Amino acid sequence: MRVILESKVRKKPSLPIEAEAIIPRNFLKGTDLVVFEGNKERTLSELFWIFVEGTAVSPENIEVVLKGDTSRIKRVGEYMDTGTILIEGDIGMHCGNFMSGGTIEIRGSADAWLGREMRGGTIVCRGNAGHYCATGYRGEKKGMQGGTVEVFGNAGDFCAEYLAGGTVHIHGHTGDFPGVEMRGGELLIEGDATRPCGNMKNGSCVILGTVHDLLPTFEKSGTHLLPERNLEMDVYTGDVANRGKGTMMVASRALRR
Amino acid sequence: MTELWVKNACVIDPIRGINGEIMDIAIRDGRIVESVSDRADVIDAHRCLTLPGGIDSHTHVSGTKVNFGRYMSPEDMRAGRTKRRGKMHVTSGYYVPTTFGNSYRYSAMGYTTLLEGAMAPLEARHTHEEFTATPHQDMLANTLFDGNWAVMDAVREHDVRKAAAVVAWTLNAARGYAIKLTNPGGTEAWGWGDDLTSIHEQVPHFAVTPAEIITTLIQANELLRLPHSVHLHCNNLGKPGNYQTTLDTFELVPDLNPARQSLYATHVQFHAYGGGTWRNICSKAEEITRSINSKPQIVMDMGQIMFCRTMTMTADGPMEFNLHCLHHNKWSNHDVELETGSGIIPVTYSKKSAVNCIMWAIGLELALLTKSPWQCLLETDNPNGAPFVKYPEIIGLLMSKRYRDEECATLHAETEKRTSLWALERELDWHEIAVMTRAGQAKALGIASQGKGHLGIGAEADIAIYPIRTDMVDPAREYRKVVEGFQKTRYTIKRGRVVSRDGEIIVDGANATFWVNAKVPEDIRMENDKEFIRRFEQFYTVRMSNYPVQDLYLPRGRCIETEAML
Ligand SMILES: [Zn+2]
Repeated sequence: MRVILESKVRKKPSLPIEAEAIIPRNFLKGTDLVVFEGNKERTLSELFWIFVEGTAVSPENIEVVLKGDTSRIKRVGEYMDTGTILIEGDIGMHCGNFMSGGTIEIRGSADAWLGREMRGGTIVCRGNAGHYCATGYRGEKKGMQGGTVEVFGNAGDFCAEYLAGGTVHIHGHTGDFPGVEMRGGELLIEGDATRPCGNMKNGSCVILGTVHDLLPTFEKSGTHLLPERNLEMDVYTGDVANRGKGTMMVASRALRR
Repeated sequence: MTELWVKNACVIDPIRGINGEIMDIAIRDGRIVESVSDRADVIDAHRCLTLPGGIDSHTHVSGTKVNFGRYMSPEDMRAGRTKRRGKMHVTSGYYVPTTFGNSYRYSAMGYTTLLEGAMAPLEARHTHEEFTATPHQDMLANTLFDGNWAVMDAVREHDVRKAAAVVAWTLNAARGYAIKLTNPGGTEAWGWGDDLTSIHEQVPHFAVTPAEIITTLIQANELLRLPHSVHLHCNNLGKPGNYQTTLDTFELVPDLNPARQSLYATHVQFHAYGGGTWRNICSKAEEITRSINSKPQIVMDMGQIMFCRTMTMTADGPMEFNLHCLHHNKWSNHDVELETGSGIIPVTYSKKSAVNCIMWAIGLELALLTKSPWQCLLETDNPNGAPFVKYPEIIGLLMSKRYRDEECATLHAETEKRTSLWALERELDWHEIAVMTRAGQAKALGIASQGKGHLGIGAEADIAIYPIRTDMVDPAREYRKVVEGFQKTRYTIKRGRVVSRDGEIIVDGANATFWVNAKVPEDIRMENDKEFIRRFEQFYTVRMSNYPVQDLYLPRGRCIETEAML
């Protein structure tokens, strides 16, 4: 079954919509869902043109497609455990919060907190991701714990902060402090990064681009060849300021300043 | 004139010696009276358990430290959210909720009076502002003197009168209620990067020992005729083997006051550890309670921990640093010039941890092994041991051996070997619980004479009516009903007004703040003491004239005046 939600033109298009109700499982029983626009409760049909194609008996066969201006829609896919969400444009903050299964594909860019505290499932973002991509929320000591987040563009600051499990793959650059407080999982950054992995306890981080301001609390422990890319990597252990057992690999050329 | 008539109440009022009588309570203009007119509003209590309003004699709900706990735990603000509803403000937070969150949840549990466990005098304004925003409970502030330079100078000079005069001036300036000592001397030592490990070790630069600070202030407290005794958080909190320090401290305490204890020892669970390391830590609750049982001059509270995630916050800065080194989690450290300090870290008490299980058992052992419930009061050092919303579970555990056994079966295997909890058959009764949650507190804090903690004629009409029929519930078997019953009153009445009904707050609060003005003779008043003024102006970053809290901060302040014997 495919549920297509095409956003209607709104009087105040900048008002955020809190749409944690938009997960595939909820559409098993119909499209009678409520969301909040600002502080006003709205039915889905007040904000979207809704088209339903086919039927489904179980939620894993449900695909939800979001079209139109969806850049201010928050919390889409929160607690999602199965099924598919396809977002044709940009998506608002907190997409895929606490997600434990299923797939979210974003053709445009995602705002901050993409896949925060995710437990499982897959998120693919074709554009850029905002700050705090694949992290824990403020104060939360365990961020993403499982699943996969792949961003084809760049990610903002604090990407994969408190990463505890799962895989985060950024094809572009990241901002400041990617992988800080990491305690597990894998972070791969193909582009550049600034001050990565501060206070890292465990897990591994691979950076293929240039590292700016490498922290002094990482100990170089050797080199390693990434055969599939034919790249020599410097291997660091850290963050020693936090009894860290994490591994950070940085392409050797990157440190020839 | 407002009148209320509570009829068919099953009253337990330990201070007046009433234990489960069915009676009616007449209330006029906030106080309990002989009778009311037939125009009075009527509440039929349907023979439900009716107690004086609950009193927490040691909790952390207001002030800079608590608020910093809020800053530090944004993740906690995701829990416990409630919307604005009727008279209720929005609330959020579980272990460090917003002020209104604290106030509503306490009120739903029937609590009407709270003593904030630690207020730094220099930061008193903030505490009083938060008191005003905790509107459904009358508030009192323990005022910190553990590292007060002027007090330590007086202690060194063996001048009890001077120490008393400094306390009187500071309590008045801070609008405080009682003397609080948190790791006396140790927190000051921490200001120099150090801690004290014995009550006979000297505080750096001051040449006084914790033992001298404690004994001097116990005497000063009585000279000032303060309603409460010295309120002590002993040295060496949370260290394996610390029970010896606690016993040594108890030995220092003379019996000076026939009306109440001479020392209130708080969260004693954290001070009752045997062993020498975290690996061989064990319970010394038997030794501690043997001492308490022979010393009517001491009252303690449990400091029970419960298995949950929470925040520890205390003026005991060095202890928090040690915990931080153990957990490697976020940590805040704070120095209050010339007075005290504080530290804050989050903790999770887990049944997987043998240490945590032993701590849990020790708290219960203390309560079950103390013969008189008046000497061991129920609290968790909220939120240090657990948020106060866990009190009903603790009541259930104390009243039911079966409940304890069921919990014990889920604990780390070491717990049975290193505590005596498994062997304790005692089950507390309703009367003992009433003592441990209100009457004992009223007596220990010295507020029974202010009309708190009892339902006698003239008392403040603070009343909690719980949906519990004591004649129909067997707490030993039906402990779930006990826990549920204490979680939500049917009615909480504060100064004669129903403030909470079935857990819903239905009016705006109008609490009072009690503070003490101990009058000392003109010749030893600190505002006339040239040396005190000189040192104040030299060392503090505030002017002495700007230091006292203005009345504006206590819109409903209630001053208790005492005539010092100096
Ligand atoms: Zn405390």
